[in-house]
Amino acid sequence: MKRLHLPGPASCGAAVLVLFAVLPLVANPYFLFIGNQLCIYVILSVGLNLLVGYAGQLAFAQAALFGIGAYAAGLAQVRLGLPLIVAIPGGLVVATVIGLAMALPALRLSGHYLALATLAFAQFTNWVFQHWDSVTFGGGGFRVPPPPRPAFLSAGLQSYYIAFVCAALVTLAASRLVCSRIGRAMIAVRDGEVAAESLGVHLLGTKSIAFGLSAACAGIAGGLQTLMLGFVSPESFDLTQMVLQQAMIVVGGLGSIAGSVIGAAVLMGLQEGLRAFQSAQEIAFGGLLLGVVVLAPGGIAGFMARRAAGWREQYLWGRKPPLPANPAP
Amino acid sequence: MLAYLVLAGLTNSAIYALVGIGIVLIFKATGTINFAQGDVLMVAGYVAYMLHVALHLSYPVAVLGALAAGFAIGMLSERLAFRPLKSADTISLVLATVGLSFILKGFGRLIWGGLGDYLSFPSLVTDTPIMMGDIIIIPQQLVVIGGATLVIACFAVFFKFTPLGRMMQATADNRRAALLVGIRVDRVHLMAFAVGGALAGAAAVLMAPITLLYPDIGFPLFIKGFAAAVFGGLNSLPGTLLGAVAIGLIESLAGGYLGSGFLDVSAFLVIMAVLLVRPRGLLGSAALRRA
Repeated sequence: MKRLHLPGPASCGAAVLVLFAVLPLVANPYFLFIGNQLCIYVILSVGLNLLVGYAGQLAFAQAALFGIGAYAAGLAQVRLGLPLIVAIPGGLVVATVIGLAMALPALRLSGHYLALATLAFAQFTNWVFQHWDSVTFGGGGFRVPPPPRPAFLSAGLQSYYIAFVCAALVTLAASRLVCSRIGRAMIAVRDGEVAAESLGVHLLGTKSIAFGLSAACAGIAGGLQTLMLGFVSPESFDLTQMVLQQAMIVVGGLGSIAGSVIGAAVLMGLQEGLRAFQSAQEIAFGGLLLGVVVLAPGGIAGFMARRAAGWREQYLWGRKPPLPANPAP
Repeated sequence: MLAYLVLAGLTNSAIYALVGIGIVLIFKATGTINFAQGDVLMVAGYVAYMLHVALHLSYPVAVLGALAAGFAIGMLSERLAFRPLKSADTISLVLATVGLSFILKGFGRLIWGGLGDYLSFPSLVTDTPIMMGDIIIIPQQLVVIGGATLVIACFAVFFKFTPLGRMMQATADNRRAALLVGIRVDRVHLMAFAVGGALAGAAAVLMAPITLLYPDIGFPLFIKGFAAAVFGGLNSLPGTLLGAVAIGLIESLAGGYLGSGFLDVSAFLVIMAVLLVRPRGLLGSAALRRA
């Protein structure tokens, strides 16, 4: 088949950055909200892809950690009266610490056992959100009053630009990371733990880094979600949210940062388009997950890498990119 | 109080056991976990509801319908989410069945969700509680426990003594050797998913009168069945039974003595604790830890 000639991910990424930076100047509030939510999803998706796509650890706790970040940031503002500038990093720290605390025992597990342990953790977390009324306000959730802002920015614009800057930084940092020693160590762990260890990769250290980074992404995304909605409730962080995130990285491409961004955009579009139809959303998320895993492993990024000559995931400093995840033969 | 809680716990145990045995059967034969097992149960339950409540067919017809529906969806699961991925890694296999689980849930909600949030399914026997001394017994609980025991006994006979069951055992022990002696391993995989689905169908009919039917019922049952399976080692059928009894009882007692909020969460805490302390379960063999 004829190979398409397209600009590479780096140039596409630069174009998207510029587009998103100027978008709010023309967008109506709805599109501003969409853009804001997309930035948050990009952070989640990049974080989850580091863990699942690069390090090969199939964990289902990302939505719960997202919730922990959101609750921590929200409660820090409501209960402790901390300013936003402390609350969002606070959410990041809390989610990272809890994520690592969960990961340390989970490091001994792999495959199905890890999936079950993280699922149980996610259910437990959601239970805590719902039942620890004296701290979390219980199942009804709680409002977070909008933080003070400079006069020239609307609340929507402030939230958008904070999320945008975070998403851009996370994506750039991740694309740099995966070409680095740590990123390569994560890929080595994914492709064979014993082989990685024999090459001097510190197995537990590398896995912990992957768990910690993905939890940090989830934590900051949670804080941004709280800022955007001004409302936190348990059902935003349930199983559907988890499957949505898994579908993002699978559709975009496991083991691809550009894919994480594309997948987040695709699933975000689906979620918004089908917002009124819960059953259609479930069928669409599940169908995409199953369909892409079976028919197009590697997702959109894998497709681009095969079909488009100019598409090389080559990031800053022009290092050779790691290979996208391939199902073992 | 204690007797009531134990009986209620054992009733749930019976359901978890049926789900868990389906999961273990599929895991033994194919090396993968069917994350859609709970949603197969949900759809089979709705099929029984349609036959029995909407079409006024007799109870045995509804039971057969649920078994057949579970069997058919199990086969479909194998075709859609396992056969094309036989050579893929665990992540792909798990995500494929997670996707399938959501597809089933979405279709369940689309087709039956509009009938009402929680559909009630009539009990096989009277709903009037029986008083034995100061113990209250809901007859359907006995039906569930008895029915599940019967199904599990039938399954044990099938697995131990029929040619297909023995082929499944052989495939579970050593896939390559099974292939060498002429067992059609593909067929065994298909039948494992199908029989696993039928077990979920049996669980659905037994459980529906007590829990009612709703589209989201699948996942909580799956995760508890899975937990029972891991409790028992993921490759041991008796271990799964033991795990199901333990989880059902712990849940019920925690719910009764610590407050009803603790009913659900105690199971998750137990799962995490078991995975922490003894990842290969109580009766499992050591080789499976990295499965």
